Amino acid sequence: MPMIEAIGLTKTYRVFQKKEGLLGAFRGLYHREFKEVKAVDHVSFSIEPGEMVAFLGPNGAGKTTTLKMLSGLIYPTSGTATALGFTPWQRLDAFRRQFALVMGQKNQLWWDLPAADSFQLHREIYSLPTAEFQKTLNELTELLGVAKLTRQAVRELSLGERMKMELIAALLHQPRLLLLDEPTIGLDVVAQVAIQKCLRDYHAQRGVTMLLTSHYMRDVEALCSRVLVITHGTLVYDGPLSRIAERFGRSKLIRLEFEAGVVPEDLERYGEVARKDGAAADLKVDRARVAEVLGAILDRHSVIDVSVQDPPLEQVIARVFEEGRKNHDAA
Amino acid sequence: MLGAMGRYARLLGDLTRFTMSRELAFRGNFLVKVSVEILWLAILLAFYRTVFARTKMVAGWPEEQYLFFVGCFFALNGLIETFFLENCNDFAELVRTGDLDFLLLRPIDEQFLITCRKIDWGTGPNVLMGGAVMGISLYQMGWHFDAVRLLAFLVTFVCGVAIAYSFMLMLTSLSVWMVRNQGLMEMWWLFASLARYPKEIFRGTWAEPVGVFFTFVLPILLVANVPASALVRVFDPGMILFTIVATVVVFWGSRRFFLHALRSYRSASS
Amino acid sequence: MTLPDALATTPAPSTTFVSPEFSPRPVSRGLWSTVRKYSKIVRASLVERMTYRGDFLFGTLLRFLPMVTTILLWQAIYEGSGQKDLAGFNFKEMIAYLLLTNISRMFSSMPGLAGGIAKDIREGTLKRYLVQPLNMIGYLLSYRVAHKVAYIVASFLPYALLFFLCRNYFDGLPDPVTMAAYLLSLVLSFLVGFFFEASVGMVGFWFLEVTSLLYIVMTLNFFVSGHMFPLDLLPQPWSGLLKILPFQYMAYFPAVVFLGKVKGMALVYNLLAEAGWAIGFMLLARGLYRVGLRRYSAFGG
Repeated sequence: MPMIEAIGLTKTYRVFQKKEGLLGAFRGLYHREFKEVKAVDHVSFSIEPGEMVAFLGPNGAGKTTTLKMLSGLIYPTSGTATALGFTPWQRLDAFRRQFALVMGQKNQLWWDLPAADSFQLHREIYSLPTAEFQKTLNELTELLGVAKLTRQAVRELSLGERMKMELIAALLHQPRLLLLDEPTIGLDVVAQVAIQKCLRDYHAQRGVTMLLTSHYMRDVEALCSRVLVITHGTLVYDGPLSRIAERFGRSKLIRLEFEAGVVPEDLERYGEVARKDGAAADLKVDRARVAEVLGAILDRHSVIDVSVQDPPLEQVIARVFEEGRKNHDAA
Repeated sequence: MLGAMGRYARLLGDLTRFTMSRELAFRGNFLVKVSVEILWLAILLAFYRTVFARTKMVAGWPEEQYLFFVGCFFALNGLIETFFLENCNDFAELVRTGDLDFLLLRPIDEQFLITCRKIDWGTGPNVLMGGAVMGISLYQMGWHFDAVRLLAFLVTFVCGVAIAYSFMLMLTSLSVWMVRNQGLMEMWWLFASLARYPKEIFRGTWAEPVGVFFTFVLPILLVANVPASALVRVFDPGMILFTIVATVVVFWGSRRFFLHALRSYRSASS
Repeated sequence: MTLPDALATTPAPSTTFVSPEFSPRPVSRGLWSTVRKYSKIVRASLVERMTYRGDFLFGTLLRFLPMVTTILLWQAIYEGSGQKDLAGFNFKEMIAYLLLTNISRMFSSMPGLAGGIAKDIREGTLKRYLVQPLNMIGYLLSYRVAHKVAYIVASFLPYALLFFLCRNYFDGLPDPVTMAAYLLSLVLSFLVGFFFEASVGMVGFWFLEVTSLLYIVMTLNFFVSGHMFPLDLLPQPWSGLLKILPFQYMAYFPAVVFLGKVKGMALVYNLLAEAGWAIGFMLLARGLYRVGLRRYSAFGG
C-alpha cells in the first residue's frame, strides 16, 4: 500500500491584476481583473513507505503547493491524493497525529517562549505519554546538539538553531510521514550537514517516509535516492537520481591533463572548454561525440590523465528548468 | 469528552504558566504596560467624575451605579484583551504570511489554538482593577449581599465575555478576505464603543430602534449592561434568560463563520 | 486599552525609506522640481492607499460610527443635568467640538514618527542620515507633509460626508477671519505635533525603550489635549493648567477657534503662543538630535 498516492493533482488560483497609475488604482476600487495561474498541473506519483524522495524544481514550480496539498492545508482544484491512507484535506485528527511538516525559514514554535515550553505544549497537543516524550526529546536534542539551548526563547536563537528546534518539534510525536520544504535554506554548511545527518539517522532508525523539497543538490544527494522534478506545475521526471544525467544531460565532461604542461590552444574546436587550469582542462562535449573527440585528442596530444564524467547535477537540473521555462513560455 | 476538555484545560494551564513566567522575566516592560492601563482607568474615572460633577444622572443611571458600570466594563474588556485580543490581531498577519498553515496542522481544534495561543498579561490586572472599582461602588451605595443577584451577575458576566469573544471571532474571521490588519482593531474599537455605555442612552426617535437592534439582533449591548443591571439595578429574569440564550446562539454562529473562513482561506491559498 | 489615536490617520510606515529619487535634494534645484517631487509622493501614496480597497472604504466609515454613541451619551448627559449649557457649550456645540477635534487630530497626530526615529537609532539605520547629505528632521518633515496631504485628500470624501450628515450640529461656517485663524491653527497644530513627537523619538538616543514612554505619552495626550471633551469642562485649577500646556493645541484649540469661542486679542495671543510652542519644540528636537548624535557617534552606533 503506497504511503502517498497522488492522481492528477491540480491547483489553480486567481491572481488579481493591478492596473498602472492613479486612474488604474481608482478603477481598481470597483472592478478587478484576474488571471488564472496553474500552480500544479495534473501531477501524479506514488511513494512507498520508507522511501526518501526529493522534489526538485525552480521557484514557483509548484513543489510547495503540492506539499501543502499532501498536508491537507490546501484543497486541490481537481485530482485526488491519499497520504497514510487518509484524504489529507479532510484533516482528520488521526491523520494529523501521524505526519509532520517542516518549512525552512518558517517558525512553528511559540516565538516568545523557550523551545522547551513549546515542546511541552506539543506534548499536550499531540497527547504524548510523558515518559516516551521525554525519551524522544532527549534523543533528539542529543542528536542535534541543542540540549543546552532549549531554555532560551526561540526568537533569540540563530537560524540554524531554530531549524533544529523546528525539526525536533516535528519529530516529537514520531510521525510516520515527514514532509520537508526547503529545510536547510539559509543555513550555514555546518547546520545543513547536522540536519542532513539527523534526517538520515532518523530514517535509518525508524524507517520514516520522507518527502523533501530543496534547491540544494547537496541535500538531495545526501538524502534521497529518488527524485521528482517539477517545472511549471508539471512533473517532468520521476526516477532515480543517478539517471537524471542520462535522461537530461546532453553532454558529458571530459577531464584532461596534458603532458606538455600546457593546454593546447586549439582545444576549442573539439568542444566547449569549461575550465582551463595550467595543464588541465575540462571539455564539454555532446554525448554522441565523446568517443570521436577523445580519439582525436589522444591522437594529436600526449595526455597523462583523462576521465569522462557527467556534468555536475546542478547544471543538468538548471538546464531542465531552463528548458521547462522555454517550453512554458512558448506555449 | 471529559478527557478532551481536560486536555484543553491543561493546555490553557500550560500557556498561562509559560506566558506568565515569560512576562515576569521582562518585568520592566510588563510594568510599563500595566502603568498605561492604570493611566487609562484613571482617565476613564476622571471623565466619569467630570461628568457627574455637572449632572446627577446619565441615562437614568445615578452616580454610584454608573461607577459600577464603568468597573464592570473595564474588567470585562480586560479579560478579553488579556486572553484573546492579541491572538485575534495576530490572525491577520498569520493569514498574510501563510503561517496560519502551521496552526491548521495540529490535531487540535483550530479555534482554540488560534484564539488562545498567547496570553497578554499586561492587561491582566485590569480585571482586578475593574473588580476593585465595582467593589468600591458597591460599598458606596451600601449594597446588601444578595446571593441570587450575585449569581446572576456572575453568570451574565461570563455570558458577556462569551458574546464579546464571539463578536471578536467574527471580526477576526473577516481578515481572511481583507488584506490589511488594522481593520480589526478599528472594528473592535467600534464594538467596544457600543458596549461601553448603558443601553439606556439609546433613546429618541432614531436611536431607539438602533438600541433594540443591538440588543436583540446583534446583542452587543447585552455585554456589560446585563451583568451590571442584574447586580445594582433591575433584576430582570427575562433579560437574563435572553442573555444566556443569545450567548449560545452567537457563540455557535461565530464558530460556524470562523470555520467557514478557514475553509475559504484553504481554498484560496497556494 | 487601545486608543483611537493609535489607529488614527496615516498607517504611514515612517521606517520605509522612500526611494532615492524622492529624497529631498537642496532647494537650489528650484521650486518647480520640489512641487513635482511632492506631487509624485502624493500620487504614490494615494495609489498605495487605494490598493487595499475593501479596507480603505470600510475602515474610514468605521472610524465614524463611534460618534453615534458619543452623541447619544452627551445627549443623555445634557438631559440628566437639566441644563442647556455645560461649561459654555450647549449640546450642539459639544457635538460640533467632538467632531472638530477629529480634524485637529488628523493634522497633529504623527503615528509612527517617534517609534520610527527610535527604531532608526536602535538599529543603526540612523547612519544613512549621517552618510548622505540629508537632514533627518528635514527629511522626516517633508515625508510627513507629503503623507498628511495624501491622507487628507484621500479622506476628504468620507469626512465631507460625515460633516454633511452632522451639519445640524453646526451654526454654519465661521466668518473669513475666524476661518483663516482656524486654518492657521491647524497648520501650527501639525508643526507642534510633529516636533513634539520628534523630540520624544530623540529620547531614543538615551533610552532604548522609547515605545513604552510613547504609550504613556499618547494615553495622557488623549485626555490633556482635549480630545475626549472640552478642557473647559474640567474644574479649576485643572482647566486653566491644561490650557497653558502645549497639548491643547493638538485637539482643543483649533476646535474652539472654529466654534468662535476664542476671539480678538485672546485669539491672537493664543496663535502666537501656538507658534511659539512649535518653534520651541523644533529647537528642542534639533537640540536633542545634535546632542544625541554626538553621544551616538561616541559610542560607535
